[in-house]
Amino acid sequence: MHTPVMHTIASVVIDGTLITFIFALAALGLAVIFGLIGVINMAHGSMLTLGAYFTWAAVTYGIPFPVAVVLAACGVALIGLALEHFAIRFFYDRPFETLLLTWGFFLVITEMIKIVFGTDTHTIATPFPGAMHILGLELPAYETAVAGISVVVLCAVAFVFYRTSLGIKIRALTQNRDMASLLGLNIQATYKLVFASGAFLAGLAGALIAPMLSIDPTIGNIYLVRSFFVVIVGGIGQILGGTIVGSFLIGGSETVFAQMSSQVIAQTIVFALAIVVLRFRPSGVMKAK
Amino acid sequence: MKRVPSSTSAAAPARRFNWRSEWTLAAVIVVLAALLPTVVSGYPIYILPEYMIYGILAMSLGMLWGFVGILSFGQAAFFTLGAYAMGLAMKWGIGPNPGYVALLASILIGGVLAALVGYFLFSAGVRDIYFVLVTLALSIMVEQITISQSQITGGFNGMFVPRMELTFGPFGKISLTHDAAVYYAVLPVVALVYWLLRRIVASSFGKVLVGIRENEDRAISLGFSTSFYKTAAFAISGAVACFAGALYGSYAQFVSPSLASVQFSTEIVIWVAIGGRQSLLAALLGGIAVASLSNYLNAITPLYWQLVLGLVFIAAIVGFKGGVAGVVQRLAAKRSEED
Repeated sequence: MHTPVMHTIASVVIDGTLITFIFALAALGLAVIFGLIGVINMAHGSMLTLGAYFTWAAVTYGIPFPVAVVLAACGVALIGLALEHFAIRFFYDRPFETLLLTWGFFLVITEMIKIVFGTDTHTIATPFPGAMHILGLELPAYETAVAGISVVVLCAVAFVFYRTSLGIKIRALTQNRDMASLLGLNIQATYKLVFASGAFLAGLAGALIAPMLSIDPTIGNIYLVRSFFVVIVGGIGQILGGTIVGSFLIGGSETVFAQMSSQVIAQTIVFALAIVVLRFRPSGVMKAK
Repeated sequence: MKRVPSSTSAAAPARRFNWRSEWTLAAVIVVLAALLPTVVSGYPIYILPEYMIYGILAMSLGMLWGFVGILSFGQAAFFTLGAYAMGLAMKWGIGPNPGYVALLASILIGGVLAALVGYFLFSAGVRDIYFVLVTLALSIMVEQITISQSQITGGFNGMFVPRMELTFGPFGKISLTHDAAVYYAVLPVVALVYWLLRRIVASSFGKVLVGIRENEDRAISLGFSTSFYKTAAFAISGAVACFAGALYGSYAQFVSPSLASVQFSTEIVIWVAIGGRQSLLAALLGGIAVASLSNYLNAITPLYWQLVLGLVFIAAIVGFKGGVAGVVQRLAAKRSEED
């Protein structure tokens, strides 16, 4: 840990790990909605943004940050529920139309944010400023905490999915919707629940990411494309493994390339690589129709 | 909410009739547009070429989305590349007339780039939503590249572009400083692009494209190499969008990375969704109308107008799939039934 090279390697590993889990958190809501009920939620990015704004509003109102995060996530879940109930549920069998529809939601939500919260950028004071020192390594405290929460959330989702009767129902639904329906599963309610959970996770991610950047109405845009690539590169329907592997490939390579050039160029290279992956490892891509 | 596709055999004669009437309508519009500067002057004549250029951009998407069923959020990427091609050609003074060089280069750049991306993805069977995402990523990538390569592009601040001139070799030249001159330079180009694209979609090549839109698997089993057709369509669309960008660069005399932003990419999709994607004329007029309305209402109430635009977009997706043109067509069909 004493030579500069070692130090660079260590910092890349740390940054890469943190980014992996932060990206995984940001993509999880999309992975749930896209992977389980096949809705291409183009409003995912704006749901993240909404989570960030709700948190900012709650914090400025004097509510402590952790409570604000939970409130924000619940708020986004409610909006997701409304969108599902009034529009999306009529389009489940038409994936391309849900894409356009959710894109419309993206537009409307973004504009609503501008109207309600204004177009100025806002910042939330980091709840844990500074860095932690572990084994001579420097870890940014807040990012580390968010990565930790991300691990907990991933585990919780995995638990629900693989160890509860609700998880069995959802898996039955994704495997064979008609059969699940014949066996008495309430399809409508389950879809609704999955969509709202995805919205909740997106709101949660936005709320937790908010203190890391200055909040403006477009912060979700880049996360939308990034999250989609995470989900596609990782493999659709692979809620846990796919999301982590995808985040690792997208986030990890972004960290490595950023080390060699600028952040912006790294982003561009990673997008290009993701397109190449999409071309050569189209697991799931073929299932599109 | 079952809707009968407009290409069923029963609707075929009506369709042929509509096509012929669309030519007539287009001709009338071009003549009226050509006469417009004799009645109006000032701001409308200054600003209309911009919207007509947007109309070309809208047609590039209308052809792809309406006739092949491929949605692209990447038209803004090609548009931006074309605009920068114009900017750089003028800056570096390439050839005897850099403007001409840029216009030709933009067709090549857009066409070749779209062909490469299209072939790369279509040949592997990437379709629908995955292609949409890639095109969205294309716009973001172009935006970021133009921001980061600031020594060439001027970065965030953009770059100024001297306006091109029309030169005719030994026959002299026309400088495009006058509003009316610009107007009369852009109008025939719009008409020409419309005519070309109409010819393409009406050709046997275009018929195959529509076949792919209606049922790609059937087109494959009939022996068509659909990836070739889709690649060709995307290349044409990319070339047209890039060409429109070069025109825009010269018209606006300024280009910046925000041309490739998610917002502008989205706006193009909205123009076409509202105008109607099953007809090139509808896409063209949608582009012109929505863009000019946007400009007008943005000045009055930017926030609420964008919101209304978003809501109208949702309504167009949920309620009237063919956009305004679809509604008009249905009304006309109803009336002719009553007769």
